[in-house]
Amino acid sequence: MSGPKVGPGPRSLRLSGVQTAMLARRSLVAEWRQLFSVLPGLVFPLLLAAVYTRQFQRALGLPGFPEVESFLDFILPASILQAVSFGASSAGTELALDIENGFLDRLLASPVARVPVLVGRLAGAAIVAAGKTLVIVAVFVVFGAEIAGGPAAVLVLLAVSSLLVLVIGGISQVLAIRTGSQEAVGATFPLIFVTIFMSSAFFPTSLMSGWFRMVAQNNPITWIVDPLRRLVVVGWSWTDAVAALGVPAVCAVGTVGAALAALQRKLSRP
Amino acid sequence: MESVIEARGLVRRFGDIVAVAGIDLDVTQGEVFGFLGPNGAGKSTAVRMFTTLLRPSGGTARVGGFDVVADAGAVRRIIGVALQDAAIDPLMTANELVRLQAVLHGISRADARSRGGELLARVGLSGAAKRRVSTYSGGMRRRLDLALSLIHEPSILFLDEPTTGLDPTSRLALWEEVGRLNSEHGTTVFLTTQYLEEADQLADRIAIIDGGRIVRQGSPSELKATVGAPTLRIDVGDGDDAAARNVLRRFGSQRPAREGRVAVGLEGGAAQLAEVIRALDQAGVGVAHFELDAPSLDDVFAEATGRRLEGDGVDE
Repeated sequence: MSGPKVGPGPRSLRLSGVQTAMLARRSLVAEWRQLFSVLPGLVFPLLLAAVYTRQFQRALGLPGFPEVESFLDFILPASILQAVSFGASSAGTELALDIENGFLDRLLASPVARVPVLVGRLAGAAIVAAGKTLVIVAVFVVFGAEIAGGPAAVLVLLAVSSLLVLVIGGISQVLAIRTGSQEAVGATFPLIFVTIFMSSAFFPTSLMSGWFRMVAQNNPITWIVDPLRRLVVVGWSWTDAVAALGVPAVCAVGTVGAALAALQRKLSRP
Repeated sequence: MESVIEARGLVRRFGDIVAVAGIDLDVTQGEVFGFLGPNGAGKSTAVRMFTTLLRPSGGTARVGGFDVVADAGAVRRIIGVALQDAAIDPLMTANELVRLQAVLHGISRADARSRGGELLARVGLSGAAKRRVSTYSGGMRRRLDLALSLIHEPSILFLDEPTTGLDPTSRLALWEEVGRLNSEHGTTVFLTTQYLEEADQLADRIAIIDGGRIVRQGSPSELKATVGAPTLRIDVGDGDDAAARNVLRRFGSQRPAREGRVAVGLEGGAAQLAEVIRALDQAGVGVAHFELDAPSLDDVFAEATGRRLEGDGVDE
């Protein structure tokens, strides 16, 4: 009788890459097969943008409001953030589902490294976010928005939306690992939504007052939205590009790291 | 014989709850080992420790010669695992799941295709390979789960309650496949079950687990032999249980029985039956129904724990 077959340790970097890609593909396929769950994340921000553009066109004349042709240019970054926030926690809710139905155990009982298990899901969600961003930019352009920063600015928009998904997805994965409950993870969505509203996403902080202004100024979403908006409204600037990308990049490293640490902790608890 | 699954004083606690309270066992290569016990006995917890999904709180466990904590990666490469409830993504097709599972085990695309096709054919799912798993019946899911756990030709297979909730036909099909794996491929199988018949049919050796402890261990025939006498179960209808018990006491030791029944291990064997009925008649105890059973694993369980496994409300 043959002894136990010990294959070559499939932990090489290349294999981890293939495994991550395979798991990312899995989450993309899942999104594609549940398109009805992706569509609201596109339709709702577009609808809100249409309504706001009609309502707030006169606000453009307020002293202190950035000089823009149309309110559409002003809220493009906000609409993208909103679209991304829908489904951004899907990396977490789907992980919670995998925990609930035992699929995660299947992954963990195989020789796959821990990193692809989490990052695969996040990568899938990030690709979906980039796709949604592209659709939103296209619709805005069709309706007359102008992106002063050109194609480079669009690339930054795509990258920022992907990075934000990693940030929110990382947090939601921490919650999924800690609670193992889809409901608990899903409950973070309103929080993200409110965080976007309490930033400069829909109105410049210079026109806010009191505590709200203070909250908005110290809201990391504002730190991302302001440089993004300058890229759209004013034009290309390396400083703005780095600022817009830097904040979510640093946060993503933190939250994805936290998710990996949470998984490691869960698995090694004696 | 070489031991391929080994536990020494294996313990797992969840807070104050002791799920596995120090078990020792050895499973030799090529054996089908049955872990029999009711819900909550600690079967799944033990399997999760053997499959590296849960760290032991105490003691040691080795699988294929590797420590489940220190050499977890090596353990994962040689085991196949099909856990309770057939954890399968319902949005994916069988073909996609096979490919995913193959990549997880570092198997090349070409090998995955040929081996996956072969496995799906073996479990009778070739025709449904392109269908989403959400359209599968419970039996089909279990068979797919088994196929997935075999993609890397594991030498040791862990099956956690593989037939719970399945209809009799699907159960039989799965038993046949497990039997074939063991006899044709020499795969060592560690199987947990709450079904006596399953353990009896499939396992070369059985450990009965209750309350986190192994209470009996041996081959089905060895275990049954320890109980010895056949069990006589009497239903006295509306009659007097206590009077019946008084009579039966003279023929052997009392055994646990469902409510409204009295059971005794007939020390003199089946030959004593006529004598028992006469004695009951003389004592004025009416018998509504009686059964005489050769010792079963349920008797072994009852003798070890004071409870019956069957009729324990364990079915889904």
